[in-house]
Amino acid sequence: MTPFAITGVGLVNPLGVGYPEFVSELSAWANAPRDLFAGHDSLLDPAKVDAPMAAECLSFDAKQYLGDKGLRNHDRLTKLLLVCGKLTLEDAGLKEAGTHRLSPERIGVCSATAYGSLEAVTEAVQITELEDPRFLNPNRFPNTVMNSSAAYVSIWEDLRAPNVTVVDGNCGSLDAVLSAETHLLNERADVFLVGGGEALSEALYVAFRKLNVLADHARTFAPGHAHSQGMRLGEGAAYLSIEKAAFARSRGARVRAEIIGYGNAFDAPESEARLVHVSSDALTRAIDMALRDADLSADQIDVVASGLCGVADFDRRELAGINAVSQRELAVAAPKVIYGETFGAGGVLASACALAWFDGVPVAPLVQGQVDGPIRHVLVTAVGYYGNASALILRRVSGLTERI
Amino acid sequence: MARVFVTGLGVVSSLGFGRDEYWRNVVAGHSGFSTIAGFDATALERTVAGEVRGFVARDFMTAAEARRMGRCSAFALAAARMAVEESGLRAEQVRGERTTVVIGTTMGEADVVGELEDAWVRGGADAVLARKLPLCGSTLLPIHVARAFGARGMVQTLPAACAAGNYAIGFGADLIRMGRADVVLCGASELLQKIQFAGFVRLGAVAPERCQPFDKNRRGLIVGEGAGILVLESEAHAVRRNANVLAEVGGCGLACDAHHITRPHPEGTGSLLAMREAIARSGVTADEIDFVNAHGTGTVANDRIESLVIGEVFGGRRVPVSSMKGMLGHCMGAASALEAVACVLTVQTGIYPPTVAYETPDPECDVNLVANNAQRGPAEIVLNNSLAFGGYDAVMAFAKPGRLPDPSARYREFQASGAE
Repeated sequence: MTPFAITGVGLVNPLGVGYPEFVSELSAWANAPRDLFAGHDSLLDPAKVDAPMAAECLSFDAKQYLGDKGLRNHDRLTKLLLVCGKLTLEDAGLKEAGTHRLSPERIGVCSATAYGSLEAVTEAVQITELEDPRFLNPNRFPNTVMNSSAAYVSIWEDLRAPNVTVVDGNCGSLDAVLSAETHLLNERADVFLVGGGEALSEALYVAFRKLNVLADHARTFAPGHAHSQGMRLGEGAAYLSIEKAAFARSRGARVRAEIIGYGNAFDAPESEARLVHVSSDALTRAIDMALRDADLSADQIDVVASGLCGVADFDRRELAGINAVSQRELAVAAPKVIYGETFGAGGVLASACALAWFDGVPVAPLVQGQVDGPIRHVLVTAVGYYGNASALILRRVSGLTERI
Repeated sequence: MARVFVTGLGVVSSLGFGRDEYWRNVVAGHSGFSTIAGFDATALERTVAGEVRGFVARDFMTAAEARRMGRCSAFALAAARMAVEESGLRAEQVRGERTTVVIGTTMGEADVVGELEDAWVRGGADAVLARKLPLCGSTLLPIHVARAFGARGMVQTLPAACAAGNYAIGFGADLIRMGRADVVLCGASELLQKIQFAGFVRLGAVAPERCQPFDKNRRGLIVGEGAGILVLESEAHAVRRNANVLAEVGGCGLACDAHHITRPHPEGTGSLLAMREAIARSGVTADEIDFVNAHGTGTVANDRIESLVIGEVFGGRRVPVSSMKGMLGHCMGAASALEAVACVLTVQTGIYPPTVAYETPDPECDVNLVANNAQRGPAEIVLNNSLAFGGYDAVMAFAKPGRLPDPSARYREFQASGAE
């Protein structure tokens, strides 16, 4: 693929808000791991979710970044994305003091989410089914629509190039890169905000607890390890601003890294009756495709920012898919150990970890292999629950990356 | 850069299943509206919709397939099977890594999500059926389709609201032009569901009994449901197997109003950009467009702004315009996919579908409307407008095969023109 420059990053994560705080806290975590899942009061309603263990963005207050006005009817997912959009545009030098530095017709958004706003859907169902559908709030109903949170980013920031929402489960924010690539190559924009978000909600937590896949309380949470007894949920959002390298140079943008390869694949389960299927084969094919795209061999990958989540069977399959591409043992990190499963946002948050590693943050936690020497190439992986898988390769840009 | 051809069409709609029944009813100006049977809407004082009647998933799929999907996915798979059958693609030609599936929607498997949420708010976590939880992801729409055909390329869901069909078709065509796929099954699917219906009623967007696009006395939209799926192929793939080519996919124009979540931009800036871009990316001029299948929802704001934009794009030229939503209703995510199917059939037959229930001209909607009865006319190149929730504007062009300039040349020309 044509390399794309990453010129900005904005994120909201249980570690912090904004890339500098994220880098600082990620570095602190690498030196002294701490538990973000317990020891705090949850924002989830205790009447609906008993004693959740989740990594929540506790200190996040959208008003600090967006002001007091216009937020009343927005759901949590939208607020997460609005703040990410603002931080990314500022980090990329695309907006300064509220003023566009580039025509708004040339900036688009490709945003992923796996579940959208379940908070809004629950509210709508409660009103429609338990009260009276005529009481549904017309100002909040739009939040139930899957593309509303991404659309609000364009509205809030006045970005008039295409706005795309991608729903591909855990692969979403990596697949959003393909959408952005397509539109950038077709000259539909000069810059895309690429990424996505996922908000914790009572409905999401109850659903995954009902599926019996959560490692809360007495269960072991150890992504990438056979003895792990489940995943833990997190929340967060991130955008990367990506643009053609030549364009970034022409506007004097700081380049944090480059995206040089992307791949995806789908593989159906053998059993007709089966639906959930984490596919090693699909992931191997996706990685192979990304390596071909990047014109790299697997041996040139310094570390994998994996999607390992803590469900032992899923993790075994993801590791098998990764290990099938190389004779040597690749170094594999599991960022979800730190901040949990964020579904559609998982890929872009792992990509943010990769940027931090390029900036000198120690890679942690590693579940396999070792990182030797400076990191030049990071492979980001994501596996969906239904047989889809995606891979992205990021390259360090020597001499251009500014240390935080 | 390859030409992209449409070689198969599949339809599930309130006007029938399969392209032939659908097109017969469209051309005849029949209505797909009926009193809603799927849920009780009486409290909302709006009880009419373009509901798909008589759809039995098992008529289109195995028992195992029907068990593992909701109604939205079932619509998509049924339409995909019809489209692939029409394309004449053999199983081994669809199977494999070079086939991609891209499906658009607004709400996805909203019936499954609604059922689970309903159980939870009424009875708590104990009332939620765990076995149903994996069925609710909108991710599943293309995955069910890919599984059915053994496709192993990319699967992607594009929830682009009422522009989802055009988004999916445009993205599918882009993937083929970029060499990332040979065959793409794309389109969109949507189902009628109580919460969505209640939401549109509360937004004041739903008409009491009928939808009258561009009419002075229009009172809003009628909600519909259905699915439209197209088989797209690269020219090389289609030629190699001697496929029956139905139409060529032209340019795709995309823009965002960035104005309001439900209201169109007062000057139609995004729509204007998208229409002009679709024309420019097709390598033609506005003078060469023969027909516009309008978004035409029947709401006061949409039809007024869309008329304004059409006037801007075509200047003094009175290009024929029609909206099918008076017959089908507004099928949300599926709307532009079903209209894209109609555009392909317009290119094939030279018939413009009618805008039904048109009675009183509106000076603010000064378009050359194909009013009440289908018309025949030139149909070398047609446009499909979709101007959606969230300010998503997507316009697709379809043309007679070979009518458009070579895609590489038109891309170069587009670049050189500095077109928006």
